[in-house]
Amino acid sequence: MSTPELRAAEDRALLGRIVEGDEDAFRRLFGRHGPAAMGLARRVVRQPHLAEEIVQEAFLGVWRDPQGYDAERGSVRAWLFGMVHHRSVDLIRREEAQRRRADEMVAGLRDETVDHSDEVIEELARPEERRLVRAALEDLPAEQRAVLEQMYFEGLSQSQIAERSGQPLGTVKSRALLGMRRLREALEDLDR
Amino acid sequence: MSTRDHGSIEELLAIRALDGLDREDEVALEIALATHGDCATCRELEAGYTDTAAFLAASLDPVPIIGGPMENLLAAARVARPPARDARPSDELAARRSRRALPVWLAAAAAFVLLAVVVVPRLAGSTDVTTEWAQTVVRFDGAEGELAMAYVPGEPGVAFWGENLPDPGPDQTYEIWMIDDETPIKGGCVTPVDGRIAVFVDANVGTTDRMAVTVEPTSCPEEPTGAQVLTATLS
Repeated sequence: MSTPELRAAEDRALLGRIVEGDEDAFRRLFGRHGPAAMGLARRVVRQPHLAEEIVQEAFLGVWRDPQGYDAERGSVRAWLFGMVHHRSVDLIRREEAQRRRADEMVAGLRDETVDHSDEVIEELARPEERRLVRAALEDLPAEQRAVLEQMYFEGLSQSQIAERSGQPLGTVKSRALLGMRRLREALEDLDR
Repeated sequence: MSTRDHGSIEELLAIRALDGLDREDEVALEIALATHGDCATCRELEAGYTDTAAFLAASLDPVPIIGGPMENLLAAARVARPPARDARPSDELAARRSRRALPVWLAAAAAFVLLAVVVVPRLAGSTDVTTEWAQTVVRFDGAEGELAMAYVPGEPGVAFWGENLPDPGPDQTYEIWMIDDETPIKGGCVTPVDGRIAVFVDANVGTTDRMAVTVEPTSCPEEPTGAQVLTATLS
C-alpha cells in the first residue's frame, strides 16, 4: 500500500472509530487535517476568526454525522475539505467586498501576534505533495489555471467569473472542466 | 461503466467540486444525477473531482492550530448528539443510494425538466442558462434548510431542489402543497437524503398563489395535518 493509500485507509479507520463515539479518534482526525483545513478556510475567507469557526463547524459536523461520509464519492480528506470550502464560499458570497478587504488588513495584523507555542498538530506537512500539486497547477494553461484559482481560492461562481472576465459563461465552464481534467490526470499517481 | 452520455454531468461535477456552480446548474445537476439513479460512472466522476479539489486545498500552506480551538471543538463535541452506534457507514449509505434512484416515470419527467433547463436556452443561442429559468426559480422561507422550486411558466411540471433540510423524523416525510385560494392541493411527498432533495412533481402551478411544505406521516395524507415548515409566495 502506498503512503497516500495508507493515509486514506487510516482516515477511514479513524472515521469508523468516530462512528463509535471515540473522542481520541476525533482528536487525531482534527490533528491530521485541521491545519490544512484552516489554511484553506483562511485562504478563502481571509479572516482568521471566521476561518476558525468554519473549521470547527465542519469538524463538529463530522462528529455529529460521520455516517454522512461515502467512500465512493471521494476520500475522507476530500469530504472534510469540501465541507470547509463550501462553508467558506457560502460565507464570502454573503459578504461585501469592502468589508472583506478591511478585515484582511486586520487579519494581517492579528497574524503577527499569534502564539504558536501550544500547537495541536499531529502532522502533516506533506511538503512533497504540496510541491507536486503546485507544479501541476503551474503546468495548466494560464486561462484554465485562472478559472480554477478564482473559483476555488476566491470563491467566485462560474457566472461571477464570466462577468468579471468578460468571457462567455460556456467558455468559463469549459475551462474549469478542462483544467480539472488535466489536474486530475496529473495527480492521479498521488491517489488520495 | 455505463454507456450513457456523462458529458454534461462531468462538467457540472467538476465545477461543483470547486463550489462554482450557479444555483440553476446545481438544480440541473441534481436532477441529472437523480435521473441516472445508482450510477457507478457518476460516482467515479464525483469522487475523482472531489479528490482533485482536495488537492488544490492541499497545495496551500497549513496553518498551525493553537490549543484553544481544539479544546473548544472537543467541548462542543461532548455536548453534541453522540454518533449513532447501531449502523455502519456502508450500510446506511447503501440504503441512501438505493433511495436516491427515481421511479421510471419520475426519471423521464426529470429528464424533461433537464431538457427545459439546460438544452432549450443553449439551442436558443444563449450562453446564459439563467435567461428564462431564473425568472421561475422561487425560494421557500422557513426556519431550517433551503428549498427552491423551478418551473417553466405555462408548462406542467415543477422541479424541487433543497439542501440542509432536517430529517423529518421516523415514519415522517415532507409533503408539498399548492395553495390555491386557501385550498391546499396535494403536490406529493419527499424525504431528504443527506438533507437534500431533488424531485420533479408533475403538477401545474398556473393558478397557485402560495406553496407550503408540512411534515406528515409517510402515508402521505390527502389533507395537511402538520404545521407548515416552509412556505413560498408565487408572484
